[in-house]
Amino acid sequence: MKVAIIGANGFIGSRLVEQFHLGQLHTVVPIVRRPASLALPARFAVEWRLGDALNLESLSKALEGCDAVVHAAIGDPAQIEQMPAILCAAASAARINRVVYLSSASVHGQNIAAGTTENSPLSTDQAMEYNNAKVRAEKSFFSEASRYKQSGYALRPGVVYGPRSRWITDLANEFRERRAWLFDEGRGICNSIYVDNLIHGIDCCLRAQQGAGEAYLVGDAERVTWHDFYQTAAKELGLDLDVHPVAQLPVFERSFREKVENTVAQPWVQSLLPAVPFKLKRATKTLLASWNPPAAPNAWSLPTQPGPKITQEMALLQQNRWKVPHEKAAKTIGYTPPVTFAEAMRRSFAWHRFATEVRAN
Amino acid sequence: MSHAQSVVLVGCGAVSQQFYLPTFRALATAGELKVAALVDPSDSARGVLASAFPQAQSVKTLADVRAEEDSLVIVASPPRLHASQTLEALERGWNVLCEKPMASTAAECETMIAAAKKAQRLLAIGLYKRFFPSSALLKELFTQQNLGVLRSFTIAEGGPFRWPAATPSFFQKNQTHGGVLLDIGVHVLDLLIYWLGEPASFSYFDDAMGGLETNSRVRLHYANGARGTVQLSRDWATPNEYRFVFERGLASWKVNDANGLTVQFAGGTSALRSQLLTPVSPDLDAPASEIQPSNPQSFIRQLRNVLAAIRGEEKLLVPGEEGARSLRFIEACYREKQFLEQPWFTAEEAKQARQLVTA
Repeated sequence: MKVAIIGANGFIGSRLVEQFHLGQLHTVVPIVRRPASLALPARFAVEWRLGDALNLESLSKALEGCDAVVHAAIGDPAQIEQMPAILCAAASAARINRVVYLSSASVHGQNIAAGTTENSPLSTDQAMEYNNAKVRAEKSFFSEASRYKQSGYALRPGVVYGPRSRWITDLANEFRERRAWLFDEGRGICNSIYVDNLIHGIDCCLRAQQGAGEAYLVGDAERVTWHDFYQTAAKELGLDLDVHPVAQLPVFERSFREKVENTVAQPWVQSLLPAVPFKLKRATKTLLASWNPPAAPNAWSLPTQPGPKITQEMALLQQNRWKVPHEKAAKTIGYTPPVTFAEAMRRSFAWHRFATEVRAN
Repeated sequence: MSHAQSVVLVGCGAVSQQFYLPTFRALATAGELKVAALVDPSDSARGVLASAFPQAQSVKTLADVRAEEDSLVIVASPPRLHASQTLEALERGWNVLCEKPMASTAAECETMIAAAKKAQRLLAIGLYKRFFPSSALLKELFTQQNLGVLRSFTIAEGGPFRWPAATPSFFQKNQTHGGVLLDIGVHVLDLLIYWLGEPASFSYFDDAMGGLETNSRVRLHYANGARGTVQLSRDWATPNEYRFVFERGLASWKVNDANGLTVQFAGGTSALRSQLLTPVSPDLDAPASEIQPSNPQSFIRQLRNVLAAIRGEEKLLVPGEEGARSLRFIEACYREKQFLEQPWFTAEEAKQARQLVTA
């Protein structure tokens, strides 16, 4: 099958190109927006193309002659919401019927309610604007795929890790800087999925004979806690598990700036934005950027010990107690994650050593 | 100043817009050069420079240029055009400053050098990092051995490719025969050759699997026993740092820091992170030291060196013979290439990757 991969230079897209091409699973057509993004796909003698996931004409042309398309492009919340409609219209123009869209388990939030399945209702009033955008985007994807009578599949992975993933590099940096932390001794469940397991899920969608028009939760086979994740990472890095224990998480309130950004991301606001003069938009962005500047450092303060930097996303993720099920994916599209968590972490940190260790020979 | 040197710029892409445009402005204002012509097949690329130098002739090809004899032609076009455009300029009696890499092959370099000799014109190569004051200080450390003999070094340079390339030519094998090694590797290996000479032996690894490499490793051994590793990447953020371990200390240089260096003496309790100054006098009443040239000022110094060499006032710091050395070494690397194992591949993927390399 000739498969177009939109976002082929990203963390998931680049591994998708590697695995499909080297595994001889499919003929890949990597699609990237700018020439500068060709560095990774161009390692192979493959037919890469330039195409903009936010431009119908450009994307339609890039998809020509392909049998299927996988959408792995990322963007800001507004772009995330725009992409599915363009994807389906472009696929239709290129006469592609099979469309695989990478949604996210974040549509259910980071701290997922017990009992959640694909059938659970989705909210667009979540604290993280990314989640709301993904909910709207997934709905848009199925609506547009239905309109064009396409076989549309959406996957909802959780914490996708592997080579080139921020989950690996950020954690390694946190350990190195002694800023790693665990809430409630790491009892939370991280809903991990190794990138190769996600790619297996994508391949299942490409080959599936049934189950179109549906979203599927996918994850590693194991129930991995954050303690498991951090402990294994520390071991792979040759370190003892040295983390800041966190018993009480901070309360995150939306700043004025975040509230404005959330409002701007709403589809009805986006539709009005072209009418707003460019200079006014630029002035507003500048004003927002200068809102609440950080306090100037105090020259008389004592040197501080490294402490945890708790983001809202991680605070929510570490509170999660629900392992999302992938029974529906297993039953309908044949999803059986091929890589164990232990092997996945070994490969992930093998990449990390490859990328970061520089030693005299 | 005797007269403003006539300059023709061939290729009006990113390097010309980001580096040559402000350099021309500075030197034209100082009366050291005048931009005679701008050459690029793309009207839009040419337009950016033409708006800054409206008096310059604006043409699509070098053949259309009318410029006085002994003009300086700066070749800043895609590398596959460097040799042919340099030869054309030399034939017309012009001097040439050719951007790096000097050419596509070492054989082309030899032809260019021979043509410059025959035409009795200057051929300079754009390897401006040699003009960094920090490069000069490192060379002093290697040759004068102020920190003792060099034992080892590690170099890691590069990061996700963000050069605002207008076309995909950087990634097309029919446009260029190399990836990261032929791109940023030219500067790295040129500096190493400038500082240390050619290595006694080396081994080379990269991750091209039918296409162009995005990660490279070079291991080098020198006749004096020093050894080093060079790691280049267009894939992942590297520390962008050169670290040299000497008998009596350590020197660390951040990529593109033209006038800064960190030095640590063996057994010392602190390292010195320094900004380079002109030499300090023992006399307190002597004029104060000045900060050494920055990165942009080093780029300007490079062009000034070429202009002064044309006037016969300075020796050319990077002539064609010097520019060809790193390219010859890069060709040797590609000849000796070994596959760079990527340890996250499955066994089947690794096997297929090796087959793609040998194919």
